[in-house]
Amino acid sequence: MTTEQIDSEHWRLSFDEHEAAFIVTVLARLGRQYQDDPKNMSPALRAFWDGRITKGEATSPKEQEELADAQELLAESRSELRSQRLSLIENWIQEYELAENRNPWQVELTNAERDEFIAMLNDRRLLLAFSIGVTEADMDSDPRQIPEEARRHAIMEIDFLGHFMLVMLGPQIHRP
Amino acid sequence: MRGARILTPIRRDIEGANDCCTDAPSHGVRRLPYELGAKPGTETSPDIDVEEKLKEAFARGWSVIVWNDPVNLMDYVVYVFKTVLKMNEAEASRHMWEVHQLGKSSVARETREKSEMIVHRLRGFGLNATMEQSP
Repeated sequence: MTTEQIDSEHWRLSFDEHEAAFIVTVLARLGRQYQDDPKNMSPALRAFWDGRITKGEATSPKEQEELADAQELLAESRSELRSQRLSLIENWIQEYELAENRNPWQVELTNAERDEFIAMLNDRRLLLAFSIGVTEADMDSDPRQIPEEARRHAIMEIDFLGHFMLVMLGPQIHRP
Repeated sequence: MRGARILTPIRRDIEGANDCCTDAPSHGVRRLPYELGAKPGTETSPDIDVEEKLKEAFARGWSVIVWNDPVNLMDYVVYVFKTVLKMNEAEASRHMWEVHQLGKSSVARETREKSEMIVHRLRGFGLNATMEQSP
């Protein structure tokens, strides 16, 4: 995968055939996850999607009421975010299906779409992590040594997607 | 938060910060000394009321906290801080390390409305962000 800034507003992502197939599969799975009914989600996943506005305690009934409103707003905005991102996924998958050349498969994104794309790959990483209850130890281990197949695959996918994210962020990472 | 085994988070500016604050009072807007239709002489210290509401709305009494997690990549977190909070590289890196090493970092101190908006943005990028009233 390569990433190239076309101008101040646009980016071009290029995926080889295998990378493209992988990314499209990931996006399709993520799209299904965005459509999941929160009522059917595990508590960890539901907590992730509802979000939590504060870990502090309200100091007055008024503050308690305000924080309850803020919590509701956060959950609503998280729900809208899923719908918006689902639309982007549908567009990208359609572009892939209609593409005459998939090797490389090239996608041109605005700055805002690129931010969303990176955040969505991260969504998939987080959702996988929540679904298997990933720990620091899992993330520091060699995934090939993880005996349980589903867990091994999930952590490998988390790593691959992290790699794609870093490639996309590459031009903007300036370590001192 | 993890380093780069192979790899590391987000950004978008906080433009439109006021978009979320349509209920916030604006400077220069004053309520009538008493409600229309009310009898003169029955008002209840409106000036104090307005001032208190303005003070409350604009007080930067809320901190936005970002918490550590095992999945978000360090470089990604720096990217998110730069994008959402408009931090420079050094500042974003310092907060990222604070999250990584101390478990959390206070990344902004704002009004309640603006803090809410920042929490929404950070969560949109997958960071575990909350807000707390500052002491």
